[in-house]
Amino acid sequence: MTPKNNILIGIIVALLVVASYNVDANPIEFIDGLPNLAIVVEEMLHVEPKYIPTAIWAMFETIQMAFIGTIVGFAISLPLSMLAARNLNSKYVYAPIRALLAAIRTFPSILWAILFVIMVGLGPFAGVLAIIMYTIGFVTKLQYEAIETIDSDPMDAVNSIGVSKWQLIRYVVIPESASHLLSQLLYMFDYNIRQTSILGLVGAGGIGFYIINYIKFFEYGKAAVFMLVVLVTVLIIDWVSVKIRDKYIIKSQHGMEVTTK
Amino acid sequence: MKKNSMIKNSSFSLISTKKIIQMNNIWTSYDSKIFVLKGINLSIDRGTNYAIVGQSGSGKSTLLKLMNGMMLSSKGTIKIDYVMPDMNDKKFKKMMHTIGYIPQSLGLIKNITVLENILIGALPRLSKIQSFFKRFPEHEIQEAKRILKLVALSGKENRKVYMLSGGEKRRVAIARALMQKPTILLADEIVSELDHVTAHEIMDLIADAQKRMNLTAIMVHHDLQIALEYADRVAVIKEGKKILEIGVEGETIVDFQTGDMSAEEIMEMYSDDSQK
Repeated sequence: MTPKNNILIGIIVALLVVASYNVDANPIEFIDGLPNLAIVVEEMLHVEPKYIPTAIWAMFETIQMAFIGTIVGFAISLPLSMLAARNLNSKYVYAPIRALLAAIRTFPSILWAILFVIMVGLGPFAGVLAIIMYTIGFVTKLQYEAIETIDSDPMDAVNSIGVSKWQLIRYVVIPESASHLLSQLLYMFDYNIRQTSILGLVGAGGIGFYIINYIKFFEYGKAAVFMLVVLVTVLIIDWVSVKIRDKYIIKSQHGMEVTTK
Repeated sequence: MKKNSMIKNSSFSLISTKKIIQMNNIWTSYDSKIFVLKGINLSIDRGTNYAIVGQSGSGKSTLLKLMNGMMLSSKGTIKIDYVMPDMNDKKFKKMMHTIGYIPQSLGLIKNITVLENILIGALPRLSKIQSFFKRFPEHEIQEAKRILKLVALSGKENRKVYMLSGGEKRRVAIARALMQKPTILLADEIVSELDHVTAHEIMDLIADAQKRMNLTAIMVHHDLQIALEYADRVAVIKEGKKILEIGVEGETIVDFQTGDMSAEEIMEMYSDDSQK
């Protein structure tokens, strides 16, 4: 430990204390609150199984919202990412598109949901719109970064034939980045299901709407059923996407023969 | 020796007087400070099999990129079939449709099939709607299959490129270039990583296609031996300058640049360069 390091650690600790004081982050309150948590957990253990069908239906609605949001968002982001990629466009094209995307990414999905609830009213449609916007902002960035890492040799070889830019995208860029694009699609769907589960907090549909209402009315046993369904669904989707990635993406990225056994 | 070169020159002019590639005093730089090519002069006749030989970093690949408009020279004039190569020029862009270019890494798309890779050569002939929906006309598919047969890849049209061997990948790259119905074929070190037998198979294939289609083949090589074996003429590039232009006449190597070097002197000169 050099004296310089000690000073740095001292500064970080001092900032931690000051910031905690400013936001009333008191560890004693946390310890005092532990019995309250125990009460909630105890009440949650009184699971009410008769709500399971409702919870599954609400989860199904959530999955559908996430599905529409992901697919539509992805379809919009694909052409945008082609315009935002530096290896395909001049800076007069990609710079404004990137600025627009950065602005879209500034808002988390919950803020988009509030905006769309005001615009189209309460319900799942506002949630779908929020997921679309979030997907566009986020996935376009992933896509144009993937496009920029494409091997330049196939691009040069096909470009030297004198093809149009559209043909270059259709016949080189998309096939060359297909495994990345599929991987991002899966990741985004997985992520959007988790996100859609909380959009109900602002009245934008989905399973979160039930959870927040039962918690508001201290009906923790009912809330627990819905939370459990979210947990199981997320675990299943996580497992399925790992399987799909292993089978179709990892192998094709490594140039191995893809088997579908 | 000088007499020999004169005879060969005049026999060329009888076949075709038309120069397909003319380069005068070409200087090229990637960063406008260090020049990769320093005052290159080249004149290539239509229908010849031309080779450019040099060590790594000699500027030979850059020379090819100038010929298909992928790069612009800093100084000097280039004419490809009497047109200045520039990708942004409409006239030259149309000409690019018939310039086959095979980069050293081949530039194949590994996730699509052999047939799809070859059909890319036909893209300039497709309408916008056909290329949007990937609807290749039946005659183009038949042409691709005919070329597949020519490059001895029949039966492998539905294989993904990453499943092929090095020699097979080169055949696909050649087939894609032939699919363009080219007048010029540019290939950058296409056989440098292959074993002796496969390298000769690939070179035979190109030589055959070159004669059959009356192509002008311009091939960059690392190995002078293979260049002399196949090419009508060989330009030797060293540190961005053309130091020799030679060819084989019967059993003798002929110096076309100065016309006064013996075969032994030429080989000695090249081997000196190789050792450096």
